[in-house]
This record gives sequence, C-alpha cells and structure tokens, in this order.
Amino acid sequence: MMTASRLHPQLVLLMELQDLRSQHRELGEEEAVREVEETHFQIDLEKARIELAEKIEELEAALDSSARRRYEQIRPHRDRVVVPVINGVCYGCFVSIPTATVGDEGAREELRGCENCGRFIYILS
Amino acid sequence: MELRELFTVDAVKLELEADSKDDILKELIELLGLDEKSDTILFKTLKRRENLGSTGIGKGIAIPHCRSLVVNKLCLAYGRKPGGTDFSSIDDAPVHHFFLIVAPPLEVSNQYLPILGKIAQFAKDPEIPGRLESISEPEEFLDLLKEKSTR
Repeated sequence: MMTASRLHPQLVLLMELQDLRSQHRELGEEEAVREVEETHFQIDLEKARIELAEKIEELEAALDSSARRRYEQIRPHRDRVVVPVINGVCYGCFVSIPTATVGDEGAREELRGCENCGRFIYILS
Repeated sequence: MELRELFTVDAVKLELEADSKDDILKELIELLGLDEKSDTILFKTLKRRENLGSTGIGKGIAIPHCRSLVVNKLCLAYGRKPGGTDFSSIDDAPVHHFFLIVAPPLEVSNQYLPILGKIAQFAKDPEIPGRLESISEPEEFLDLLKEKSTR
C-alpha cells in the first residue's frame, strides 16, 4: 500500500487519470469485463465509455503545462503513463530504480519519472 | 482462490455508520487501511464508476468495484448497514450489504474478474441476504464464505 500521504498534486491528478484510462480501456477492449458489467450491473457500455472519455479530457486539461507535456510524450508509446515502484523496481519496465530516485523523503512529493522508460512513478510499499 | 482467503476480519464491518452513498463508500474504503491520499484517489475512482451506473445489483446488495493504482494486490471489504441505505440500486431498494473490490491495474494472478463474478454469484444466492443479517461477529461472515464456497 502507499505509505505516505504527501503526494505531488500533479501526480495525484495523473493517478486519477490513469485509473480512468484503465476503466475506459477495459470497457472497450476486455470482453470479460464488458460481459460482467452488462450482465451483473446492467451498464450501458457505450454511454459509459463516452462519459469516461469526457472525464479523461477534463482531467488532461487540468494538468499543468510541464506535466502535460511529459504525459503527451509518454502516452503514444505506453499503455500506462503512471506506474508504481515496488521494492525499488519500476512496474512499467521492471528495471531497478536508483535508490537516490526513490529513497529520499522528497520522492513522493516531487513528480519523478523512471530513468529507463520515462513513465511517471510513485512509491508503493 | 476462495473468497474466504481474500477477506480479513479487519475488513469486515457489521455496523456501517454512514447514511449517504458517498459516505458509505468512504467508510468501506477505510476498511482497507490505506493512507489518506490513497483513500481520496480511490474514492474518486469508485465514485466515477458509480456514476456510470450503480453497483447496487438489487435485493439489498451492492458491489462497488474498480481497478486503482493505489493498491498493489486485490483488496476486499464487506460492510453491513442495518436498516439499509439508498444506493440508486437496480431495483431501487435500499442496500444493506456492501462488498468492496479493488484491484491493481496489473495482476499477475488475474483474480479481479473471477472474484467479482464469484461475489455476484454469492450475493445472488437467495439464502445469503438472510444469512448475512443474522451474523453477529466478523468471523461468522468469513465462515459463511467458507461454507458457501465448499458447496
């Protein structure tokens, strides 16, 4: 679980954005998800995807210029723009992150990226 | 993996105090024992899922669920609201029993959907709402999950 409550506000926004993008992708591409949501929860899948896409656009517009520039650089190449770092490993590219990047107190308060894959990272214990 | 193995006593609350849909979601999230920031992010994600359509599946049962970056493994919680509360359920009836399911975006074991399906099946057993009402200790909830999974 995440161990610190201090997170960079732009990282919080990026994490919310990533969660929405996961929902949007699953409702569009994952047949099993579509079936469960339709069968048990009677979701209108297409309407739901439109609503999610609108919310995604809204959150993207709320990113500051620096975060948005990086987000737009990463997004065309990577499914996930934000990934956790667990036990010092980036869960986007599975390469070890230098201790200096994740080990200090500022790691959760600054907007940091994986030096290997470029994705935004957050520390999860 | 059986449902019983995925719940802990700490993640079972038999007397939810909240009265509104939002506050019920927050109280359920608290059962997962995350930090405050994670709680906030998770609440927003669950709320956005609810806005797409209620996870109240009828007969007094709701299964709020989502994937979220704030967890690193599948997390489940159960809450019971004596008297029930409005959750915009499919049948418009008050919801008494809440099963929260949160999964990370990537899971090696890919348990999220099978577990979501199992909970939905468990909840639809006509005997379950009555059995859940009669529970007086969290351990009895876990026993009920075990009993039903062995049938």
